[in-house]
Amino acid sequence: MSNSQEAKRYHPAYLLVELFEFLRNSFFFILFLFIFNFDVTSGWIFWAKLVFLAAAAFTIGKIFLSWWLHTYEVDHASITLREGIFVKKVRTIAFDRVQNKKTSTSFIHNWFKLTSLTLETGTSNEEASVRFPVLKRQEADAIIEIIEKGTAAETPVSESEEEESDGSLPIRPEKSARVEYFRSTKKDILRAAFTSLSFLAIFPILLTLYFQIDEFFSLEDDAENAVLYFADHLWLLTPLFIVAILISSVIGYVITTIRYGNYRIEADRDRIYITRGLGQVHTFSIQRNKVQAIQIEQPLMKRIWGIVEVKLISAEAVSIGDELATNSLYPFMKTKEAYALLGELLPQYTVQDNLTRLPRNTIWLKLLRPYYVTIIAAVALWFFRPSLLWIAAILFVISLVSRLFDYLFTRYALEGDSIQIRTGGFTTTTFITRRERIQEIEVSQSKLQRAFGVRSLGFTNRAKPIHVSSIQDVPDGLGNKFKHWFVQRKVKFE
Amino acid sequence: MEYILKEPERQISTKIIKIWRTTNTIGHGSFLLGFGALLAASQFWEWYNWFNITLYILIGITVLSAIFSIWIEPVFIQRTWRYEVDEKFIQLKHGRWNVEHKIIPMAKIEYVTTDQGPFLRKAGLYSLNIGTTASSHKIPAIPEEEALKLRSLIASYANVKEDDSFE
Repeated sequence: MSNSQEAKRYHPAYLLVELFEFLRNSFFFILFLFIFNFDVTSGWIFWAKLVFLAAAAFTIGKIFLSWWLHTYEVDHASITLREGIFVKKVRTIAFDRVQNKKTSTSFIHNWFKLTSLTLETGTSNEEASVRFPVLKRQEADAIIEIIEKGTAAETPVSESEEEESDGSLPIRPEKSARVEYFRSTKKDILRAAFTSLSFLAIFPILLTLYFQIDEFFSLEDDAENAVLYFADHLWLLTPLFIVAILISSVIGYVITTIRYGNYRIEADRDRIYITRGLGQVHTFSIQRNKVQAIQIEQPLMKRIWGIVEVKLISAEAVSIGDELATNSLYPFMKTKEAYALLGELLPQYTVQDNLTRLPRNTIWLKLLRPYYVTIIAAVALWFFRPSLLWIAAILFVISLVSRLFDYLFTRYALEGDSIQIRTGGFTTTTFITRRERIQEIEVSQSKLQRAFGVRSLGFTNRAKPIHVSSIQDVPDGLGNKFKHWFVQRKVKFE
Repeated sequence: MEYILKEPERQISTKIIKIWRTTNTIGHGSFLLGFGALLAASQFWEWYNWFNITLYILIGITVLSAIFSIWIEPVFIQRTWRYEVDEKFIQLKHGRWNVEHKIIPMAKIEYVTTDQGPFLRKAGLYSLNIGTTASSHKIPAIPEEEALKLRSLIASYANVKEDDSFE
């Protein structure tokens, strides 16, 4: 592709992609209005049909007009978009403002050898990202290449403050060389399918299906007969149950494969690239030195399976209308494997092993704190449904266990330039960041904490939105150490 | 070179106690008026009983809160508020039962402004707002001259180039 080109329209497949998108978004309306209520021609359903048809006509018209009127123009330094049907809008986005690029390829894109490309800039307003719904693959690659070339040339000048000095870091591959660090295997997918419990998804689906069918064919009587039949022949339920589990396991596996299949984590000197999905391929990349912190999440279920989800905290990583948070490295990775990968990808954030536990007496402090949820629930239930007061007891037990877990699992380490805290009861969150990445700190102490000689630490990291981390009930001494540690941060005066 | 953090010592003006008492009286008073009006309407049009009960509870809470935040709280806040500004950090510390100590690096500060409402103006005071990319903070009630001096001091300190690099 030459460095500059004429303003041009999107590929005609734009129409197909957008129409398909429209159909997918209105799937349930169509199902409900035109399939379930096919022959209803009166009442509110009739009106709803009319409104839907009008909206559909409007949307389809808009799609065609948009295709006709929207143009884009790429030159060596920027992209200019002309948009709008009634209100004309011209947007120019300079390449050096682009922080992240995402491509997403659906099956329609695949037919025509196209892809969609989203460029994100650092700003937080609605103009922050540019989306090309359809783009020839070569064109997308060319744009990405221009941007990468731009940022590469840019880096030494404008980002020297963020750039890591090479001295103590292991030698990284050259800018151009992309190295693959992780590729999901069948085993990973299986693990993912099991941990996400997607095999249980069949039961709600079956239930809704049952009620849907029931409405039309009034299964009630037959179902009652069936229930009676099964009640008499209980042993019959077991194979049925096994079959249901098997089917749903397969469905869960397929869903997980579509979503997380072919998961790849690659990196070159500057960036980390994440590619995922079968059929619909998503790619996402993030600048290594823009990572502000690392967050490792472990719900109870994942902890049992020894699996973690590693998230990269960055002010630049924004997920745009995506069902999956894009700042996640891989949501189902073996703990050891994840830590090793982190060490390679982001050596400045190593996971510490020698963590300190909370002082023993803080368990009483944790248990002593008021049980607000329990109290509010109890009062509300006592007023409105005294017969359900036992729910408050269950809540009380849950919060009790959660606090015990919190005491048992909370850990901290303050070493060198990095701080690591792990908090949480049922879901533990480990947070690792560096002194230079912390925006501000807060050390606080309540009256109750003072009696136990402990404090709370809090610190803020840049992210979208701002990320505030805190750890409760650490010894007084650590509070002072934390303050002292933070103020030793290095600032270059000019 | 080791940097030793100085315990914050600068205090805010005692005049703020009276101002907080006034503003809190106005705030709580208007809430009470609103609840009173709702209660009167409820009696007049005979609304549900639970609505009245809720209103009585809210009024009770507001009265208790008023007693605390008009007579007790302002004194303690003023007495315990400390701040410190040097060329590297701004420190804010306040609270008696719940002590909070914030440390904000100068290099992260994006803006600093002074504010003055009608009550502050009458007392010749300013409040100082400090903003970072992450948050904004307020030092309430600093005498005019000191506030303006502090503002330009912070502005000049904050104009440092941040070294974000790892060594």
